Amino acid sequence: MTSKETFTKPIVRENPVTLHVLGICSALAITNSLTSSLIMSVCLTSVLVMTNVAISLIRKHLPSSVRLIVQITIIASAVTVIDQVLTAYLPDAARTLSVYVALIVTNCIVLGRAEACAMKQGVGASILDALGNGLGYSIVLIIVAVIRELFGNGSLMGYRILELAHEGGWYEPNAMLLLAPSAFFILGFLVWGIRTWKPEQVEKADFKPAPLPDREKR
Amino acid sequence: MNNDSPLKAFLVILVTAAVCSSLVSATVVTLRPIQLNNKMLDRSRNIIKLTGLVEEGATPSDEKMLELYRGMDVRIVDIDQAEFNSELDPLSFDQRRAVNDPDLSVAIPADQDFASLGRRSRFATVYVVFRDGDLGRLILPVHGAGMWAPIYAYIALESDLNTIAAITFYEQNETPGLGDQILRPAWQAQWKGRQIYDEVGDLRFAVSHGKVEPGSATSLYEVDALTGATVSADAVTSMMHYWFGPHGYRDFLQHILEHGTGEH
Repeated sequence: MTSKETFTKPIVRENPVTLHVLGICSALAITNSLTSSLIMSVCLTSVLVMTNVAISLIRKHLPSSVRLIVQITIIASAVTVIDQVLTAYLPDAARTLSVYVALIVTNCIVLGRAEACAMKQGVGASILDALGNGLGYSIVLIIVAVIRELFGNGSLMGYRILELAHEGGWYEPNAMLLLAPSAFFILGFLVWGIRTWKPEQVEKADFKPAPLPDREKR
Repeated sequence: MNNDSPLKAFLVILVTAAVCSSLVSATVVTLRPIQLNNKMLDRSRNIIKLTGLVEEGATPSDEKMLELYRGMDVRIVDIDQAEFNSELDPLSFDQRRAVNDPDLSVAIPADQDFASLGRRSRFATVYVVFRDGDLGRLILPVHGAGMWAPIYAYIALESDLNTIAAITFYEQNETPGLGDQILRPAWQAQWKGRQIYDEVGDLRFAVSHGKVEPGSATSLYEVDALTGATVSADAVTSMMHYWFGPHGYRDFLQHILEHGTGEH
């Protein structure tokens, strides 16, 4: 696989959210605001790069019996560092996002990339893989957030785009879009769209339903 | 060394733990002053907004803000004794921590616990604003259960200790777009001039369930409903009813009205 492929593959073809369905928790929780989604994307991408590099560097010295413990220790440390930086330099964003930033530890994309890529490849390939996956995750978050914030609140990144009815404008916001379930629907439509465009992503059915008994013989 | 030997596993874990913990500790120690400064700035911004000392809409510089904040008259109120307490240090007293200290807090009787708090601190940190030597405004901390997490606010009263001068919600986690409308400046502006008690002393303040018509019987005491956020609106009403009721600041406010605030 060329290095260009390592970077571009996770963006659509092997997108961590829409193909592997990982990292859903944060994609639902924080996408009601574009600003939060952008900050979350940057945080996750930084954590991914940091952990992928660290794990790739020591991969040849990791006994397989304790490798998960070591990986999680590294991931948790990276997340704590990012969380602290966020509270120091973006205190307003940190107040709403802090819980979700801490939860990056349990975001399966991070451990997934550590296991699938950083344990097997060199530092260069691991960085590209981390950036690619970070970008793939960010794109999904941004799409969902744009839809939810624009139609749920009439704004983007806090800037008023559609004039709200209760403030004298014309747009009646759809408040359901601001609640987590709406992100489920948008993600569902997104996965549906991508799998229609790229049918090879459709998983094989686990089982075939038994044919219905013949109407005549019933 | 063989990767599968137990010694190697032990060593790898030891080194990882040492490196990671020193990295985390170093970050925390370096960033701590910045974080504390942010916290202080945030609190002073919220308080100064309520004092009326800076013009509405103006944004003073951070230094100016901190300077104003440091110059404020901070005091501790003994809520149950309904008077100021001079033994506790207002600068170091932590009202939130006090809630978990059995000596510094009291259980709230269930029939009074409108804000679903369970316990509250016996003491509160309040700010007294003087204007030309007389009481100008009194800033009181209040809090109550919200939709998802507690709502914390400061409320400023005019010198009659009944008319609301301003409110600020400085910590909340209401649903974005619905309950977090409590942060809307236009809505908060409605609080100004509303009264908490009526002329016979009954607690009348509430967030209405509709739009408050100017000139109606309730217009002196109520602010507009929040569209689609009945839970948050009712939470705010309950919070006000608890803190300005008999188990909250009511007797203390009465005491100040009769005896004044004492020396500046």
